[in-house]
Amino acid sequence: MPIIELNDVSKLYGFGEATTLALDEITLSVDSGEFIAFMGPSGCGKSTLMHIIGMLDRPTHGEYILHNRHVARLSPNQAAKIRRDTIGFIFQSYNLVARMTVIENVALPLVYKGMSLTKRLEKASYILERVGLQSREYFLPAHLSGGQVQCAAIARALVNDPKLIIADEPTGNLDSAGSRLVMELLSEVHRMGNTVIFVTHNPELTRYANRVIYMRDGEIIADEQTAIGSVASGALRSMYAIPKKTEEDDLAGVSAIMKAIPQASIKNATKHKHRKPVKSRRRQNKHHQKARV
Amino acid sequence: MASLTKGDIKTAFKTLRRNKFRSLLTMLGVIIGVASVVTVVSIGEGVKQQVNDQTEHLGKDLITIRPGQLLAQSVTSELSQSSLLGNIGTVGSLSDQDINTVSKTPGVSSVVPLSLVTGDVSSNETSRPYNALVIGTNSQLPDILRQSLEFGVFFSDDPSDLNKVVIGSHVAQILYSENVPLGQTLTILGQQFVVEGIFNQFQTAPLSVDVDFNNAVFIPYSAAEQITNNNSPIYEILARPQQTDQTSLVASNLRNSLLAAHGGQHNFTVLEQSQTLDVTDNILSLLTDLIGGVAAVALLVGGIGIMNVMLVSITERMHEIGIRKAVGATNRQILSQFIIEAAVLSVSGGFVGIMLSLVVDICLRIFTSLAPSVDWQVITLAFIVSVGVGILFGTVPALQAARKDPIEALRNE
Repeated sequence: MPIIELNDVSKLYGFGEATTLALDEITLSVDSGEFIAFMGPSGCGKSTLMHIIGMLDRPTHGEYILHNRHVARLSPNQAAKIRRDTIGFIFQSYNLVARMTVIENVALPLVYKGMSLTKRLEKASYILERVGLQSREYFLPAHLSGGQVQCAAIARALVNDPKLIIADEPTGNLDSAGSRLVMELLSEVHRMGNTVIFVTHNPELTRYANRVIYMRDGEIIADEQTAIGSVASGALRSMYAIPKKTEEDDLAGVSAIMKAIPQASIKNATKHKHRKPVKSRRRQNKHHQKARV
Repeated sequence: MASLTKGDIKTAFKTLRRNKFRSLLTMLGVIIGVASVVTVVSIGEGVKQQVNDQTEHLGKDLITIRPGQLLAQSVTSELSQSSLLGNIGTVGSLSDQDINTVSKTPGVSSVVPLSLVTGDVSSNETSRPYNALVIGTNSQLPDILRQSLEFGVFFSDDPSDLNKVVIGSHVAQILYSENVPLGQTLTILGQQFVVEGIFNQFQTAPLSVDVDFNNAVFIPYSAAEQITNNNSPIYEILARPQQTDQTSLVASNLRNSLLAAHGGQHNFTVLEQSQTLDVTDNILSLLTDLIGGVAAVALLVGGIGIMNVMLVSITERMHEIGIRKAVGATNRQILSQFIIEAAVLSVSGGFVGIMLSLVVDICLRIFTSLAPSVDWQVITLAFIVSVGVGILFGTVPALQAARKDPIEALRNE
């Protein structure tokens, strides 16, 4: 049974001439218990789609049915309650409140449920134990590693026992060890029967998913079922599609430039160099700076 | 919900502590506003109480007759505030004839004139003349003022007592640097007097229209006329009715007979004690209104300060607001969080303001003759006002925070 149904969902930004189409009539159905990876180039609308599925944003057109309820046109307060009770959202930039301790951050969604302080801390502590951060409960987020902070953010997403976990590039700011930690955790969350949707740029991480959806220019261009543990074929193609740069390529590039510039101008440049070495050195420096920029 | 509010208050105090200096500056407006309101009201209350005590002491049946039209006397003898300030300095005097008229009015038992002698007082011991208040009066003064003498006796109306003088306690200290200068002499306008008695300390009420008798030198009325060549203006005649319950009747009798004696001219004022109270009340309420207005402006400025700081705080914490909304905070929950924060700021200011006003009151009691009385009603009012200021001026920034779109708010790092 699908828990998420999107029918012709579009999202437009701006007005008049400056209108941008972020999502173009997306139709998607997600069954309970799926582990979905969204892939696609930057700016293809993945995050916008995650925000709409996570009820942080509303579609401009189309309908969104979550748990058999039409939610596309709910008021901000009703949306807030659904976010609080049924959805756990994980951000690329963690989004923990910097001046609150880890346990306070994790307990934050429970605050808005009206739970008492003792119960909140109990629950948060239990969840933190499950993500392996019990010893860091009273640390500030700034005192943890990136992977640990993201684990805390996952703990916060799980604290209300939501059935749907949405992660927008959860490993985007993490090194490989941190990424592994976070993905293992998400996959454990999935094994417990939750639906997990995540966005990634890393084809390797599609191993964790059982369905991979590819997007481009606000549209879904491919939807592939895969076995957990193997990299999706579409993702593999994208891996190989990335042009590899070798020393030879660099040299080839240089010779191409040499060919393109007429010989006379090279000679002039050499003369110039001999006459005013200081200035030319400055110019070289400028080139370096530009290259760095 | 209760735990949420408690949490919000805790968070608010945390925020307040994190930006101590900023919080203090923000609270300053409220502190000044509340402190001035509480101080002014308590001074007013204190003065009223002091005047009341004095009136109680003098007795409700004391009738005062003054020259000039201090109050617009209508048929109902109600007080008109507008005439109060305009006429308070009216110069004029009553005459010997008025004393006669007063004493002949039916129902009057005792009459005491108070005439003013202008001239320095000097004792033999101090060469420097002292600018004391010299009052010519008669032997019934201690009775009518219900004031006893600490030492000695009051002079009689007998001509043999013409060179006797009774002095207020401050005068004794200043002229002779001793408490009991009985038998000492002092000179007024070239005439020597012998100190016959010293009054007990008179109760003084600040802001009252009465003069301070502790600084006065009392000489017999005839002596005053003598040394000034009949040029000592009577600034007040005190009278008491035979029966206390007939005070109002006697007062109106006095008004009528004086009016007849003055040929229908309203150039005098007959005041009962209750009216004297009213005069003080009027002056006080005018002052209280005035300073209350200033305090209200201070509170307004304080409120605007709170609003400004809340706006800054909300801009700074936009990301946090985004996070809170993303994890399920409703608009109302964000709204209440920031309103509570503003209220905590202003209530803390109010609390400090109340404390400050208590300190000011204590200082006033120590260093001046004022005895401010702080009652719980004023404190409660100040507290409510400061909560109100916080809520009033915190609402606009809080609404801004609450209405923020979560995605937009999260973009603010």
